[in-house]
Amino acid sequence: MNRDRLLLYLYLAGILAATLVHDPVWLGAGLVLVLLLAGRDAWRLLRRALLAILAFNTLISLGYALMAWWQELSPWLTLARLNLRVLLLTSLTFLFIARANLFRALDFSKGLTYVLGLAYSQALTFRRAHEDFRLALASRSLRRPRLMDRYRASAAAASWFLEKSLHAATQSAQALRSRGFFHD
Amino acid sequence: MHIPDGFISPQTYLPAFALAAGFWGYAARRVHRQLDADTLPFVAAYTALAFVLMMVALPLPGGTTAHAAGIGLLAVCFGGWMAFLAISLVLAMQALLFGDGGITALPINALAMGMVGAFCALAAWKLLARLHETLALFLAGWLSIVLPAALVAVVLGMQPAIAHDAQGAPLFFPFGLSITLPAVVLPHVLVGIAEGVLTVLGYRYLTRLRSRLDA
Repeated sequence: MNRDRLLLYLYLAGILAATLVHDPVWLGAGLVLVLLLAGRDAWRLLRRALLAILAFNTLISLGYALMAWWQELSPWLTLARLNLRVLLLTSLTFLFIARANLFRALDFSKGLTYVLGLAYSQALTFRRAHEDFRLALASRSLRRPRLMDRYRASAAAASWFLEKSLHAATQSAQALRSRGFFHD
Repeated sequence: MHIPDGFISPQTYLPAFALAAGFWGYAARRVHRQLDADTLPFVAAYTALAFVLMMVALPLPGGTTAHAAGIGLLAVCFGGWMAFLAISLVLAMQALLFGDGGITALPINALAMGMVGAFCALAAWKLLARLHETLALFLAGWLSIVLPAALVAVVLGMQPAIAHDAQGAPLFFPFGLSITLPAVVLPHVLVGIAEGVLTVLGYRYLTRLRSRLDA
């Protein structure tokens, strides 16, 4: 078994453990362990995880606090448990992403590795293109774009992505065929 | 729509993983039968397309935005199983490569969006396409958003009843069905309209593009 697949199994076991434990002290200890494992990247990892969960968890926590106050219940244990668990799981996922190579972890299947690799590389290209489209609209607008302009920009971006996907698929198919991928 | 990590109990996500794994295996076998130098790149390309469609913001009146999912469009154009695999791969990529979404929520999101969303969209398209193509496409897009949202709301809303401590305090998602159903479904009824329009326009555009490429 390669190192990355072992890390994948350890990550999945960690995820399962974090959802089976309900004591905030243990969840906090798990978070400290993840940060220790992250070493010098610990603060960056924690900051990234906090930013990732901030909006959703704030909304849920405020909503629950309000509901508990209305029902005259103490919300603290539930809020500590919920937020520590989400922070632990998110930090663990970010640590796994930083330390493991998912493509090597899944290399038991040639087809899966290939599809994932191709999809990931195209998704990265598309993500950059999407950011370019967003910046292009912003840089060409002196004022905040009108609703209709934003619809047009979204439609233009979507049509570009549709066309690009068809071309990318055709090009990849030709590349695969020319290299005898299915006859190795 | 999709759920982050930490809000779903193991009593929910473990059986959901088992169910989704069965469907992933079946879908992979079905697609594998047609897998060759043409279909494999298409699975990857449509996965990337679904990924980026989820990033395209659809402006809503009032300054907010909704995000398309492209589920209806993928299902109508490329079939239910292909859409299910593409959406599942997108969710897995988002969770394990981009750190967006959650691994515990992956099977529920995949079953809701990829399975219920795609196959309901396909059913609406197949049933109504002969009567009124535009209406069928719009409904396919609308249903592909609203029904998964309803399923996600039900799964979230069941969490306090499924997993709670001795005092009755929730261990995972803390709100019941009376809150999750309106909070999740109602905004998606509006988002579904944008998705319906995207499905109509996207289908027409893809049909034109394909005939141009074939010519």
